[in-house]
Amino acid sequence: MDLARRPEWKLLTTPLVGFLLLFLGFPALVNLLYSISTVTFETLRSPTISGFGNYFSVLVDPEFWQASWFSLRFGVLTALVECLLGLSLAIFLSPLLEKRSALMAPLMLPLMVAPAMVGLMYRLVLHEFVGPVPHYLYAWFGDSPAFLNVQNAFWTLSVVETLQWTPFAFLLFYMAYQAIPGDVREAAAIDGASPWQILTTIDLPLMRPTIVVAFFVRFIDGFRVFDNVYTLTGSGAGGSTTSLSIYIYQAFFKQGAIGKAVAASVVLFVASFAVLYAINRLASRKRSAV
Amino acid sequence: MLNALRWIVFAVAALAMNVPVIVTVITSFKSAKELSVNPGFWINQPTFDNYLKVLQVSDRLNIFAYFWNSLTASLIGSALAILLAFPAAYAMARGGFGRKTLLPAIVNLRAVPLIIFAIPLYMMFQWLGLLDTQLGLGLILTVVNLPLALIILVNAISDVPIEVDEAAKMDGAGVLHVMFGIIRPIVRPALITAFIFGFITAWNEFLFGLMLTTNKAVPMTVGASFFFAASGGGVQWGVASAVMILGALPPMLLGLVMYRQISGSMTAGAIKG
Repeated sequence: MDLARRPEWKLLTTPLVGFLLLFLGFPALVNLLYSISTVTFETLRSPTISGFGNYFSVLVDPEFWQASWFSLRFGVLTALVECLLGLSLAIFLSPLLEKRSALMAPLMLPLMVAPAMVGLMYRLVLHEFVGPVPHYLYAWFGDSPAFLNVQNAFWTLSVVETLQWTPFAFLLFYMAYQAIPGDVREAAAIDGASPWQILTTIDLPLMRPTIVVAFFVRFIDGFRVFDNVYTLTGSGAGGSTTSLSIYIYQAFFKQGAIGKAVAASVVLFVASFAVLYAINRLASRKRSAV
Repeated sequence: MLNALRWIVFAVAALAMNVPVIVTVITSFKSAKELSVNPGFWINQPTFDNYLKVLQVSDRLNIFAYFWNSLTASLIGSALAILLAFPAAYAMARGGFGRKTLLPAIVNLRAVPLIIFAIPLYMMFQWLGLLDTQLGLGLILTVVNLPLALIILVNAISDVPIEVDEAAKMDGAGVLHVMFGIIRPIVRPALITAFIFGFITAWNEFLFGLMLTTNKAVPMTVGASFFFAASGGGVQWGVASAVMILGALPPMLLGLVMYRQISGSMTAGAIKG
C-alpha cells in the first residue's frame, strides 16, 4: 500500500512508539541481560554475565511450579465460572434490563472498584469477629469456616474474583445478545421453534465469538492476578495463594533475589507470548475460514 | 411469574456482587463499640466519627496526600495516553499505518502480565530519580492505559467518513489542522470516554503503586492498605472502612455517571483485543 508509506503517518506514530520502546522495550532488554547475570542490590548497575544459572534456579524451584499451578488453576476456574454465570444472567435478565437500563448500574458497580480495595474489603467481610459473613454463619448454623486457611484460601479467592468480574462477562454477553436482530428469533418462533431451540441453535452460535473472547480475557486476568490476592491473603496461607505475579514480586522485594525474579519474568513473558500467539493464530484462521 | 423470578435473580446477583462495598459502607458508620457486639447488616447508632478520624492527618497516615497523589498520577496517566495515542490512531485509521503489526502488538500488551516489566522499571526509575514521584507513577499508568485508548480512538476515527478529511484538504488544510481542528471535535465523545476509562483504570491500579512508591507519592489504593497495618491496638475497622469508601468513591461515581459509554468501550476493547 502506497498510502501507508507516507512519511507523515510515521511521524505521527513516532511519539507513541518511542514511549513504548523506552518504557517496555528497554525494560525487556534489561530483563534479558540481568536474567543471565549475577546481580545483587549492591551491584545493581554492574551485573556480571554468568550464564543460565538464574533460569536453572527458577525451574528447579518447587515454589515456582506451585505458583504456576495456582495461576493456571485460578485463571481457568474463575474464567469458566464467570462466563457461565455472566451468560446465564445476560440471557435471563435481558427482558428486565431492556426496558430499565438504570438497573445496569448496580451490576456494573463492582467493575469500578479497585481489586486491591475489594481484597481489603473482604478482610472485613470475612473477619471472624467483625465480619458479617462469619457472624451470620455462626448465628444461623453455629459454625463458620476459616476462609483464609491453607485448605480454603484458594476457593475464597476464587469466589472473590468471580463475584467482582462476572459483571464483565455479563456485560459483554448482554451487548452481544442485544445485537442479535429480533426478527431472526421471531422467524424461528413462527416456524415453531421452542425458546430452548432458539437459544441453542440461534443465540448461542451467534454469541460464540464473544464467549471465546470473554473467556480468554478473563483467563489472562485471572492468570496474572496480583492485587486482590496480595491485599486479602498477602503471601499468607502457607504459600498456597502465591500466584506467578506474587512469586516474582516476592523474589525481588522480599528475598532480594534479583536474578531469579528477572529470570522468572522472562519465563512468564515467553509463556504469555506463546499463548497470545496461539490465540491470535486461532482468531485469524477462524476469520479467514468464514 | 417468570418476571418475578427475574427480579429475584437480579436482586440476589446485585446484592452478592456488591457485598464488599455494602458491608464497608455499613461498617464505616459504626462505632468500634457497636461493631464489637453488632457485626451484622444493621446500624443501631450511626456515627460520622470514623470519617472525622480519617481526615485527621498524622505522620504515618495522610489521606489527603494519597488522594492528591492518585489524582495527579491518574490525570497524567490518562491525559498522556490520549496525547500519544491520538496522532497514532489517526495515522492508523487514515493511512493504514502499522495496522498489520504495530496495532495488534500494542493491543496484545493488554494481555501481558505487567509484572514482567516491573523490576527493570524499578531499577530504571532509581537511576532516573523517578521512584516515589507522581510523575513516575503517571508515566507507568500511561503505559497501562495506552492499548485501550488506542483501540477506542482508532475505532472512533475510522467511523468518521474519509470525505471529511478530503474536503478539508481540498480547502488547503494540512494534516495537523485536519487532525486537531476537524477530526478532534468530531471524535470528542470517544476522547472523553478514553479519558474517563483511563482515569478509572489508573486510579484503581495497585501493583506499580506498591512497587514504585514508598512515601511521597503513595496512591490511594496503597495508602488504604496502610490503615490495615495495625498500630498497637489492632485494626480500627470503622476507620479503615471509611478510608476505603472515600478512596473508592471517585471511580465509582465516574462509573455510575458514565456507565453507558464505558460499557460500550469496554466491549469494543475486548472484542477488538
